[in-house]
Amino acid sequence: MDFLNLLARLADLDSTTAAPQLAAPRRAALGRLGQAGTALLPGLLLSALSQPATAGTLDTRTRLDVLLLVRQLAALGNELHSRALGLVAGYPALPLTATEKAGIQVIQQQEAQRVTVFSQLITDGGATLPATPRYDFTGSRNGTQTALYPDIQTNPATYLLVAQVVKDVAVRVYKSQVDFVRADAYLTETLLRSHSAEARHASHLRTMRRQRGVAVKSWVSPDDAPVAATSPAIAKVYEGESGFIQTYNASGANGQGGALVSVPFDSTLPINVATPPLSAEAILRKVAEAFDEPADAIVATNVAALFTY
Amino acid sequence: MADLADTSFSGRALRRRTFLRVAGATAASSALVLAGCGNDDDDPTPGPDGGTGTLVFAANDTGILNLTYLVAQIQASLYQKVVTAPPSDFTAADTAAFVDMRDHEVIYREFYKSVLGTSVYDNGLTTALEFNFTTYTLTTRKGAYEAARTLEDLAVGAYNGLGRRLANSSYLRLLLKITSVKARHAAFVRDQAEPNSFAGPDVITPTGNQAGLDTIKTPAEVAKLLAPLVPVVLVADNLMTL
Repeated sequence: MDFLNLLARLADLDSTTAAPQLAAPRRAALGRLGQAGTALLPGLLLSALSQPATAGTLDTRTRLDVLLLVRQLAALGNELHSRALGLVAGYPALPLTATEKAGIQVIQQQEAQRVTVFSQLITDGGATLPATPRYDFTGSRNGTQTALYPDIQTNPATYLLVAQVVKDVAVRVYKSQVDFVRADAYLTETLLRSHSAEARHASHLRTMRRQRGVAVKSWVSPDDAPVAATSPAIAKVYEGESGFIQTYNASGANGQGGALVSVPFDSTLPINVATPPLSAEAILRKVAEAFDEPADAIVATNVAALFTY
Repeated sequence: MADLADTSFSGRALRRRTFLRVAGATAASSALVLAGCGNDDDDPTPGPDGGTGTLVFAANDTGILNLTYLVAQIQASLYQKVVTAPPSDFTAADTAAFVDMRDHEVIYREFYKSVLGTSVYDNGLTTALEFNFTTYTLTTRKGAYEAARTLEDLAVGAYNGLGRRLANSSYLRLLLKITSVKARHAAFVRDQAEPNSFAGPDVITPTGNQAGLDTIKTPAEVAKLLAPLVPVVLVADNLMTL
């Protein structure tokens, strides 16, 4: 391995195996060492390599972990929609209208395409693909417990609700995963493009449900009819989506890690432009709509676990 | 497993850049010089008539956020125009949706302006830029949704291309929170313009090894697509170096 490659690999380790909270100080430390001169490189090597082991209980993920997660979500979606369309033996097609069916076909085909994209990236990296899981979208784990959605294979309304929840949670979890792959531009772009594709699908499923009479917007809104918390995992899917507080770190000299700033949506920003103006509460509901919140991987894997046995 | 994207060109490019940042004090200081340039060039602001001038986006987060700020300004302006004078065939649901999207875009506009502070590109302007929507037919429902579709798809592609260029991770997190809402807007307005077109082959790559992935635009492509709407010359070349 040549010297440049070694350093590039260290940089990768730094950004991909560390929790975001830990990454910045470590990068700053590396920067200082770099300025002090290359004589310190052996020390840099040791400290960079030993850090991940001390990362504690924070969610830390490698690029492989991230790829396996997004592949798992795409595969689950592919199976859910394939069964609804009657493409899987033993699961007759749901009574969807022709227009509804055409939309679901688009979603199903793009899920399958993304399974292929992620599988390729995983095997290109020398890892092996996991065995295909067994699914039970009623949530009964193959009849071993009370079903959460007993009529999902016959009732389009139930299927569309589950489809929306699975998409909305995927959108949230993609956001948190980008932190773990930032050192890899190609993978970052792949995740971003997959993330917005998921959001398009979620929007369409919501539009379909609204056309069927459900009070739900195409974007996640505090005004949406609440989704029944059939399990603790489902209850987590929209938790924290109704807040209006957004914060960021003002950029320090290195573009990282300055002071934490809260965006003054509730005080000074002139965002209430309606005629007549909305109530203070109503405009903050719009702020909540305008930002989709990230969620940790476990929020999505817990939902996936409901339908896998 | 650390080599997953070794075969990709952009993966290799980023590796090199990361290397420079980690190991090179020289590289770090030249980045600072760029950061110090602010968002503007020597002759950055539009002329007093709003019809001349050049807007140069700097090669840093300030440049990126000024571009997303401009996109939000344009979209807020478009939705406001439609809300103020709705097409005669608009339903109550259409109006409600456009009001929502107008409010979201105003929220984005003011959010970016707040983050940028005095670095916002129009800080010194006495009158805000006037955008030119004459290429759109905003007097019909179909035309209004088609205009919204063009801009929402453009915004999604722009955001997907800008994400990896941001240095400040907290900005990227906010950008991602906004991106998915923009994609939801895009899918909604596409479905209204043409049923089931929410993820059509003009935005989601239909075949090949990127099949299933959404649209992505470089900053230069974004500037070119925005050009007809904006009364100044947009120069996003610096963002291409990020």
